[in-house]
Amino acid sequence: MAAAAASATPSGSNSAEQDALKALTFQRLHPRTYLERFLAENVRPDGRYFDEWRDISVNVGSISTADGSALVRLGSTTVVCGVKAEIAEPELDRPKDGFLVPNLDLPAICSPKFKPGPPTDEAQVLSDRLNEVLVSSGVVPTSSLCIEPGKAVWVLYVDATCINYDGNAFDATLLAMVAALKNTTLPKATYDEDRHRTVCSRKIREPLQIGRLPTSYSFGIFDGTHVLADPTSFEEPLLDTTVSVVVDNNGGLISVMQLGLGIVGGDDVLSKCIDAAKDCWDKGRRDVYGAS
Amino acid sequence: MAQSNFDRRRINGPEESFQPTFEDDDDETRWKPGNPRRGRGARDIRPIFLTAGLINQANGSAYIETEKTKIACAVYGPRQSKSTTYNEKGRLNVEVKFSPFSCTRRRVPIRDAEDRSVAVQIQQALVPAVRLELLPKSTIDIFITIIENDGIEGCIAAGSVAASAALADAGIEMLGLVASCSAAVVGKEIWLDPTEEEGKASSGTLILAGMPALGTITSVWQSGSMTPADGIKCMEACQERYTDIHAVIAQSLLENAQNNT
Repeated sequence: MAAAAASATPSGSNSAEQDALKALTFQRLHPRTYLERFLAENVRPDGRYFDEWRDISVNVGSISTADGSALVRLGSTTVVCGVKAEIAEPELDRPKDGFLVPNLDLPAICSPKFKPGPPTDEAQVLSDRLNEVLVSSGVVPTSSLCIEPGKAVWVLYVDATCINYDGNAFDATLLAMVAALKNTTLPKATYDEDRHRTVCSRKIREPLQIGRLPTSYSFGIFDGTHVLADPTSFEEPLLDTTVSVVVDNNGGLISVMQLGLGIVGGDDVLSKCIDAAKDCWDKGRRDVYGAS
Repeated sequence: MAQSNFDRRRINGPEESFQPTFEDDDDETRWKPGNPRRGRGARDIRPIFLTAGLINQANGSAYIETEKTKIACAVYGPRQSKSTTYNEKGRLNVEVKFSPFSCTRRRVPIRDAEDRSVAVQIQQALVPAVRLELLPKSTIDIFITIIENDGIEGCIAAGSVAASAALADAGIEMLGLVASCSAAVVGKEIWLDPTEEEGKASSGTLILAGMPALGTITSVWQSGSMTPADGIKCMEACQERYTDIHAVIAQSLLENAQNNT
């Protein structure tokens, strides 16, 4: 349930419970005012400062049916990602390139605002953005996925499922996808010319060739006045602008995405967000993918 | 063979892609009929790890892990029924989704018949236990995501267990906790809680769900071929075990409640 302002005491004294219920009701009925009251005190409803990031935990390799897997928790947002490798014929005009197919699924399990059925707009947009970032950052160069030019290449299906949606699915999913790719091993494949098929070895497995390792930092701008880092699912619908900055493992910039105006008090905050993202990378996330 | 028709709502790969074929390796260590069971006794179930309350967006949730089977379950409800017709008793709606990476062969994200049949079996196991007559005009939605699948019978049994823990976590009134266990007839023996490999080697399987607290059975699904006598033996073997499963569910709910206060 969303964070309540007051916490109930263990013995459940009546007035504390009543206050908590009132706060929760107020949060439901007037979310904007609720958030404004917190921001006036220089804090956010979950107790963080404006530029504070939630804790991250990354757990790789726990799914044996997948060739690579990762489970990421960004605060409460939980994303599971699995990589399955299959073999296909390459495109005619790109005979030495394999395929990388990322997808994010936001199923009904993760939040009451998603209904069962085909992917919602939000899921489609996020999948598309993730695809752009993975391709432009060159996490896995597609030329490394070639088995036999013109005949057989690897197709890596990178499927992420959100289990619990508490805001900022983009950052969590990018983290999960890159961690899963780093964890992926492919069986050694040889193309048999005579029988026109590829045969893989059960015993020898090789890790993927990994290029840059991107990490993403998302910010939201509320009411043209405050820049909030790493928005939760309560804050997200109230933001008028979101900015996502993707940084690679050397501190270099890969991409910046901004949806909305991006002006706070008359100044353009984009450069400030980029600096904040690089700062966060430097302080906390250099080794988020494990010492490489 | 994974044929993906162009799905315009997702990023698509090539039109056709194939699961890698492995060279014929004469695996000495692979199980052969007539051999005893590997790793555990014939009547031992896999150890269950169950926690409730992991999904804070939902009214109730549970996560279950039995060796290689991993399932997350969330309960939303009771919430307003979508249909306009008045229903005296509440509705229990179960939806199951297999993650694409959960099985040895990649599953297409589109829901197919297997998802629905698993959902129906779990719903049948749970409906007698939930006090739906107290919730008119409401729907309880149970969403189950299978993260890793090691044996479909194990999935259904574990899914029912996770769902009943999640319902309890959501505070929905029930007559009792539902425990579920699966059994397989392998050769002449009865093995409990078969994995995928063991399920394939068996001639028939049986999944039993019930409420140990009341000593009743809520659902029995038998598939494959077995003699009626074997069927009864499977049910008895499952019943022996599911008091232990009930204790595991109760223990994890108790720990969750203690951690929250």
